[in-house]
Amino acid sequence: MAAPATTADRAADELMPAGLYLHIPFCEAICHYCNFTRGVLDEAVKSAYVSALVTDISRAPERGAEVETIFLGGGTPSVLSPAELARILDACRGHFGVAHDAEVTLEANPESASLERLEGYRAAGVNRLSFGVQSLDDRELARLGRLHSAARARQAVDEARRAGFSNISLDLMLWLPEQRTDDWHRSVDAVIEVAPSHASMYLLEVYPNAPLREEMMRRQWSVAPDEEAADMYLEGLSRFEAAGYRHYEISNVARPGFESRHNRLYWTGGHWLGFGCGAHSTWHGRRWRVMPGTGDYIRAVSESRPVRLDIRDVPPTEQLEEALFMGLRLTEGVDLQAIRERWGVDVLARYGDDLAPFLEEGLVQVTTSGRLRLTRNGMLVANEIMVAFIGDAVQ
Amino acid sequence: MTQRNIRNFSIIAHIDHGKSTLADRFLEHTGALEAREMEAQVLDSMDLERERGITIKAHPVRLTYTADDGQTYILNLIDTPGHVDFGYEVTRSLSACEGALLLVDASQGVEAQTLANAYLAIDHSLEIIPVINKIDLPSAQPEEARRQIEEIVGLDGDTAILASAKEGLGVHDILEAVVKRLPSPGGDPQAPLKALIFDSWYDAYRGVVIVVRVLEGTIRTGTKVRLMNAAQDYEVEQLGVFTPKPVVIGALGPGEVGFVACGIKRVLDAQIGDTVTETARPTAAPFPGFKALKPMVFAGLYPVESHQYSELREALEKLRLNDAAFFFEPETSVALGFGFRCGFLGLLHMEIVQERLEREFNMDLVTTAPGVLYRVTTTDGAVTEIDSPAKLPDVGTIAKIEEPVITATVLTPSEFVGPILQLCQDKRGVQKALEYKASDRVLITYELPFNEVVLDFYDRMKTISRGYASLDYAVTGYWTSPLVKLDIMVNGEAVDALSVIVHRDRAYDRGRQLAAKMRELIPRQMFEIAIQAAIGSRIIARESVKALRKNVLAKCYGGDISRKRKLLEKQKEGKKRMKRVGRVEIPQEAFLAVLKVGEDG
Repeated sequence: MAAPATTADRAADELMPAGLYLHIPFCEAICHYCNFTRGVLDEAVKSAYVSALVTDISRAPERGAEVETIFLGGGTPSVLSPAELARILDACRGHFGVAHDAEVTLEANPESASLERLEGYRAAGVNRLSFGVQSLDDRELARLGRLHSAARARQAVDEARRAGFSNISLDLMLWLPEQRTDDWHRSVDAVIEVAPSHASMYLLEVYPNAPLREEMMRRQWSVAPDEEAADMYLEGLSRFEAAGYRHYEISNVARPGFESRHNRLYWTGGHWLGFGCGAHSTWHGRRWRVMPGTGDYIRAVSESRPVRLDIRDVPPTEQLEEALFMGLRLTEGVDLQAIRERWGVDVLARYGDDLAPFLEEGLVQVTTSGRLRLTRNGMLVANEIMVAFIGDAVQ
Repeated sequence: MTQRNIRNFSIIAHIDHGKSTLADRFLEHTGALEAREMEAQVLDSMDLERERGITIKAHPVRLTYTADDGQTYILNLIDTPGHVDFGYEVTRSLSACEGALLLVDASQGVEAQTLANAYLAIDHSLEIIPVINKIDLPSAQPEEARRQIEEIVGLDGDTAILASAKEGLGVHDILEAVVKRLPSPGGDPQAPLKALIFDSWYDAYRGVVIVVRVLEGTIRTGTKVRLMNAAQDYEVEQLGVFTPKPVVIGALGPGEVGFVACGIKRVLDAQIGDTVTETARPTAAPFPGFKALKPMVFAGLYPVESHQYSELREALEKLRLNDAAFFFEPETSVALGFGFRCGFLGLLHMEIVQERLEREFNMDLVTTAPGVLYRVTTTDGAVTEIDSPAKLPDVGTIAKIEEPVITATVLTPSEFVGPILQLCQDKRGVQKALEYKASDRVLITYELPFNEVVLDFYDRMKTISRGYASLDYAVTGYWTSPLVKLDIMVNGEAVDALSVIVHRDRAYDRGRQLAAKMRELIPRQMFEIAIQAAIGSRIIARESVKALRKNVLAKCYGGDISRKRKLLEKQKEGKKRMKRVGRVEIPQEAFLAVLKVGEDG
């Protein structure tokens, strides 16, 4: 039921690229704003976890599947030693058909990087590094409870280059406590000066129970007004573009050819298998998650119990909705003709009423090449627009 | 059992002064229910009533009590509604009694409504037994309560019984006092039947069940009876009493209280206050004082989702089966679509109906600002009653508008007299009396436009008196007033459901406050929204809601699309709870904004 209806569609679905997501749930310290599955590092647990992860991968029923990307996220995957990382990647290569030119990304924190370590990662097969620098302003980093300084971040990028990495991404955050327009511009300029091949910019989202929220109240830190934050985002993009980057997704810019191939799977209806606690998978119309607890995961794998939870087939209507709301994250938007061919749905006819106000306000446009895309102002209010594609929740 | 051994009484008490708990103790003490099998506060039958600690209607309970004198008595405990909205029902309940317990909280003292109901009881020549409850509380001041009973109510404070219904203290003394101090009912069992209806409800199996107090004659199963005011004849199918479980019996004689099922289809046909008599041998005159319950407060109720219209109508019809005072008729709003104009006895009644619709019938509702029934005389001399601002005729054709006026009594500790008088003046009131009842208690009597009270008088009075002042009122007449319709325009379009009728001198302030409140309540949208307040074509206030520039650009981390979907679904749910007027999404609470404008100052 979940798979597309016709053989032609099925073929189209099969052709979509696939990737692996590996979750490493450890951190040297917990950031004040973090809401992901992670815990503070414990060497013994880490070692047991790596073994469990390797075992889990080697037991996956999707044996032999061709994958073009591997993404190690966390947590802080750079807490892994090069040897541990090599074990994990070897397990992937032993079990799946990992393409020879696969994109293998490792998320790294600047503070845990060193030339030796980075060289080791490179030798193990990592070819893309994503540094969570968040800011290149020491005061902003301190407010976020980050361990590194801006200087350390610059040094990490430098070491990565010396270790042979040319595909480096830096994460930047905006709408940070006390961050004002000028601070943001300085951070963007500093990143451009460091010249990574790829950069992401996210608005900080302070979860209701995040310690940062409490600290912000206690210290009376404020964030820029919405208007200002919107302008910060737009100006950040302009500066990146002026420096030769292409804005290819709501939160991402890259030098041509350095767009994230793994993240593109998420935006274009690709397939991915997630391993490690809390990882999510979407694989040929089926979706599941892995149990969230680190200890639970290690025990379940060692006792050969299933770790995949909430396995369900994604109904075609949901797949269509996702193709739209995920696809609109890309600057290129979605190809209306392709949607019509694959789902038999005329997007403008079905969602036209809901989209009309956004089209009218210039937040969404239909290009001459027949693509539906968000304008830059539309990207700032993407959620408001994406809601148009959400069917009534199944009660 | 002879008539001599019957006692009919009710409990007069302010909300929270312990009426339901005391009633429970009576049941326990007389063995009507074992403590174990009793759910707390059996008499409050509806969940909603129990949750709010208020009783609208409770069944009368027949208790069998063996007194210290060795004789067995039938005690009929007749409940009285505890809120000013239901004042008429109180008078009917009191008419069914020979006596009443006046329950006063030992730490709170006498409150306006207790006082008003005590006066009603005195007017009905009831024998009153004062009871000072909650004497177990550390804050209890029984001597102060005794003094207030004497000085404010004018009863002999020395006869008050000290009690703690919660602890079971004084319960026996109260029951003995009921037997000894209250008179037994009169009435000739052979006389033509005369029975007063003081409650009725709809029962899915038996149709309408009425509760009567027999005054004269005897009612039996099979008797052909007539409801005198309704002028309808029925045959008695079933008679019974509540012990509190319903028990069927064959006849009810003078002084007795019980329920009657006789195939009545609608509660509207068996209104409280009507008199039941024998068709063949009618009583000479009905019990005096009948009046049809008339809704006083009106508001529009609309389904948030228009397809729920017919469901809403069915729900309203079901509620009306059981509520003769509740009125509704279809209404169309340009802004809200199809809905209903509903009439209520008062604000509490309105809230209860609203909550029941939402809770029992799962309706998602938009409620418009409550208003009162205006009397409009047009230049051609015709008089119409207007229950909605939308129905106000063209200004040029109005000769005069009259608004209902209440006589309000406020009982307050003397320290709050100043601010309360100020509030009454602000609300266009006219002072009628100011009496120092006891050294520190003042009874203030005012005539006030009902509309002002409906808006926010009560909340403000409670705020300025830190909860100590209490209010009772009754609609007593009409005033001619210079009233105007205040419109709210959103992006240039008048939103009919937001219009209110206000006094001309207050229109400017109200308009300004209302526009400001709307700016707060309407969330930012994709475009700038202009909000204007207008009287006729004159704009008196402007506000704008700036366009939404950004929301959170969150990471879709590790391919967790389900989470992204959930976030969007939540956002969509939020939107669904709004009403789209033109292009603007207006949240439900905005339609009640007029109730909230006083809050900020």
